[in-house]
Amino acid sequence: MKWPLVERPTPNAQVPLYNRFYLHASSASQADPLLVWGTEIDADALQTFLQERNRGGRILVTAAHALIRATALALEQHPELNVRLVRRRIYAFRNVNIRMAFFHRRYSEIDLLLIEDANLKSLERIALEIWQRMLQAARGEGGRDRDLARLRRLPAFWFRQIVRLYGFLDRNLKLPTFGRLDGTRRGCMMVNDLSFLGAPPMRMYKPTHFPDKSDSFNLTLGPIEKKVVTRSGQFVSATVMPLFLRADHRLVDAQQVGRFLAAVRDHLSNPERLAGGYYESSDIDRAIVQKLKK
Amino acid sequence: MTADRKGLEVDLVHFVQSRGTRYAKATLQTDLLETGLLDSLLLMDLIFHIEDAYGLRFDSDQVNPSNFRTIEDTVSFVLKQKSAPQV
Repeated sequence: MKWPLVERPTPNAQVPLYNRFYLHASSASQADPLLVWGTEIDADALQTFLQERNRGGRILVTAAHALIRATALALEQHPELNVRLVRRRIYAFRNVNIRMAFFHRRYSEIDLLLIEDANLKSLERIALEIWQRMLQAARGEGGRDRDLARLRRLPAFWFRQIVRLYGFLDRNLKLPTFGRLDGTRRGCMMVNDLSFLGAPPMRMYKPTHFPDKSDSFNLTLGPIEKKVVTRSGQFVSATVMPLFLRADHRLVDAQQVGRFLAAVRDHLSNPERLAGGYYESSDIDRAIVQKLKK
Repeated sequence: MTADRKGLEVDLVHFVQSRGTRYAKATLQTDLLETGLLDSLLLMDLIFHIEDAYGLRFDSDQVNPSNFRTIEDTVSFVLKQKSAPQV
């Protein structure tokens, strides 16, 4: 059993006034607290970086792994975004955990995985964990896959009752996480890599909100496109990737969203900043223990 | 399925080429990483095609760029694994 959130909520006085308007709005107001900000990143730099890492690396790294590491580093820089709502209170997460959607090959559907302490892990370590989970999922061997298989067998009536009850408890109480199914709730940020080959150019993307409200933010990377851009005053052909952030105005305002997105963009456009972190698990464990002591 | 080099090469090239027009020109020597053809979807499909057809089992630390850079590299990796004593 793990307690992903800190003990006390963010004091009301520290929540910006406009966020509080949204936070305390009645449902009759029908206020929509969703903010979406789209931008682009320099894909040339990221592609070159990934190609170099893959020339001599031990583990195949992709844009999805870079996105996770960049998001984690940006969350570390902007801890005001590493939060979620419980009822009308804002609680910070204890760790920088990132959840990612991936294609579950065995069931031909999307599933989630969680990279814990992604800010402390190297790109290769993140990649290793993701490949491990994807292989495990495709074979149906993981504990989570067995739990998901049990969930699929539930009759629709009981599925609905359980989801509604759990959603109600999760929205209103600061719950611990118990197992493999609810483990992905331990992170506020969900990342999607939709840059797969053949995906159409992305102009706009608004991911949905999870019914359990645990994913406060969603960051989606779109496919590579060629565009004419200016560099040092010259028009040049460059490759770019769209990046969309969906945020909750009850937690952050547009200025905070912009600063966070700029940090992610900065890391991805200057990917040498993604270096660092720990590869071996024993080093990660030591780093986490040290961090928790602080 | 037996894993002789020629048969394996033909099978894997056909497997990659059959994924659509973008892959139609892939050859044994095409650098799948530099050309951006190898995404996680193709990688997983390739791994499980090899596992099902040739009875191998991949570990996550074998998802190494040197094993998947070209189809030729993958063929060499599969043959090496097949000839290695099973633990």
